[in-house]
Amino acid sequence: MISLQLLTSSPNPSSLHTSSPNVFISPQPLNRKTLKPSKPYYKNKPYTTIQSVLQWNRKPQLAGETPRVVVITSGKGGVGKTTTTANVGLSLARLDFSVVAIDADVGLRNLDLLLGLENRVNYTAVEVLNGDCRLDQALVRDKRWSNFELLCISKPRSKLPLGFGGKALIWLVDALKSRQEGCPDFILIDCPAGIDAGFITAITPANEAVIVTTPDITSLRDADRVTGLLECDGIKDIKMIVNRVRTDLIRGEDMMSVLDIQEMLGLPLLGVIPEDAEVIRSTNRGYPLVLNKPPTLAGLAFEQAAWRLVEQDSMKAVMLEEEPKKRGFFSFFGG
Amino acid sequence: MRASMASISTQQFQSVSLRPSTCISKHGICLNVLEFRSELRLSSRYLKWSRRKTERNFSVGANSSPVNSDDDKRVEDEVVKMERNIVDSENPFGRLRGSITSLPPVVFVMKRHIGTNFAVGMCIAIAFLIIAVREYVARKSRYNRPGSVADLVKRGQLRSDRRGISSPLKYDDPFNNPLVKVGKSNSTIEMCGKVYRLAPVTLTEEQQSIHQKRRSRAYQWKRPTMFIKEGDSIPQDVDPDTVRWIPANHPFATTVSDIDEDLAQNNVYQKHGVPFRIKAEHEALQRKLEALQSVLLEIQRLHTPVTISSSI
Ligand SMILES: Nc1ncnc2c1ncn2[C@@H]1O[C@H](COP(=O)(O)OP(=O)(O)O)[C@@H](O)[C@H]1O
Ligand SMILES: [Mg+2]
Repeated sequence: MISLQLLTSSPNPSSLHTSSPNVFISPQPLNRKTLKPSKPYYKNKPYTTIQSVLQWNRKPQLAGETPRVVVITSGKGGVGKTTTTANVGLSLARLDFSVVAIDADVGLRNLDLLLGLENRVNYTAVEVLNGDCRLDQALVRDKRWSNFELLCISKPRSKLPLGFGGKALIWLVDALKSRQEGCPDFILIDCPAGIDAGFITAITPANEAVIVTTPDITSLRDADRVTGLLECDGIKDIKMIVNRVRTDLIRGEDMMSVLDIQEMLGLPLLGVIPEDAEVIRSTNRGYPLVLNKPPTLAGLAFEQAAWRLVEQDSMKAVMLEEEPKKRGFFSFFGG
Repeated sequence: MRASMASISTQQFQSVSLRPSTCISKHGICLNVLEFRSELRLSSRYLKWSRRKTERNFSVGANSSPVNSDDDKRVEDEVVKMERNIVDSENPFGRLRGSITSLPPVVFVMKRHIGTNFAVGMCIAIAFLIIAVREYVARKSRYNRPGSVADLVKRGQLRSDRRGISSPLKYDDPFNNPLVKVGKSNSTIEMCGKVYRLAPVTLTEEQQSIHQKRRSRAYQWKRPTMFIKEGDSIPQDVDPDTVRWIPANHPFATTVSDIDEDLAQNNVYQKHGVPFRIKAEHEALQRKLEALQSVLLEIQRLHTPVTISSSI
């Protein structure tokens, strides 16, 4: 049933959006049902709706109440949740917000590796619960950005006691709220794959969610499912990040475009991240991509996603392809 | 048998690499070929080894039958050497390449020119020297790129002492990003020096709510709030939908916990002082010591000091 809905909502995905921008302005009969409401809107003011703009010369305005507890989840594994958490987290720290990243991927924890903090994790939340250490001792402060802290839930080979379910995470968030240095602006939770006990624990304290997906049908179906579960749980603010986008494949109609994905999931876009070999290099270094100099396309994309997260904004336009001089093969994201 | 197998693999290899003619005529291509080769060489020593071996075997197969000489082995060696020499003289790239591979057509041409020469040996030696230097340089440059495997070494994730170490990065000002510029018409954006066309996002509130309704029909779910041991039955007045059973062999979760909920909560909320468990252990130790001490005092009262000191 799920797959049917997903497939029928967009019978001919890649042909819809990649060919010309006119497609967006005058919807075709194929997707008449879903696009109809937008028709008069875009007829009245075509193109004036494009706001590609991130105003780099100012600090983004923090919307919503602090702490913003954001869970980063996907259903499917290996789509880039941890990468997103690390990069968005450090971007937020660079933008002067205080951030606590919680690695709730209890089974396969690796946020510490991506951040290069693996040698400094001595205590985890399990030790805090057991009374082996205090919470402040389990928080690992990043030396590059001192307003960024990491908290791991458990040691890789130990088990998470679930006797009190996700309550433990709620206590942790409460304790962070009332601590002396003041409440962190953002608490990012890196969720494990699947919808098992780990997922349930990770989403418990969250009041907003970022769904990470890649442009393939398997991860889209999982994303749809997870979005459904989050909505059932009462999390209303759900946005998506489309990761590992390759415009050369989109142009060849071998890959769904970002707008196709949006049509299938119906979620606002927080960001579009290109496939980038720098990602793996930055993993090796333990230096999230956003700290790279010179910045790469993927790094800029993560930074913009962080920017939008702060302002509770979503993308108003996506980058389609390169203008006249047809040199490279990359094209995507925008603001 | 072995020779024929070898010839097959030589031919396979040929199909991977480019023909020598293109290599000599176009330097651009030639460079690529060399790059590709050095990749091969670096990535798998085995391949390199087996390739050398196969080319040798091939010349045995090609030569021994028509020449019918006593010292086949010597002839074959000469063939390889000579043909290397010839290729060497053509251009520097050819020289390198020739020292790595020999191609059957060249072998046949060369058969006529068999002879020993000191210069041949010199050329081969030089060629090998160049290969070694090239490899060394390539390896060096490979390992000081930021984000390479060297960083894993530096972080202690990988053990190797021979790898280089890269310098750390400096950061940009996040509020001044010259790499992103918006076009005048607002329908283009320039990023990292390239101009991209923008398309508006068409998702509307209505569409979003349609999708939400679809999902709420498709997925009905209650977040489980209770985790119990596999085999245990659901407690009274608890919604069965909110219960999950955790098997004893679950990879990362367990329902077993040696502290109760209130205590755990207090531990999380504790801001100062000695953590609960440490304190408890310390106190237990203290009590034990006190108990021991009192026992000792008891003993002291009953016996002489000499026996006490020896018992301690
Ligand atoms: N934009 C990207 N381009 C290239 N590789 C990526 C990208 N995003 C993620 N990856 C790679 O995908 C793999 C899985 O990423 P990870 O963040 O660990 O996924 P998850 O946490 O969802 O399991 C990593 O090896 C990472 O290097
Ligand atoms: Mg992960």
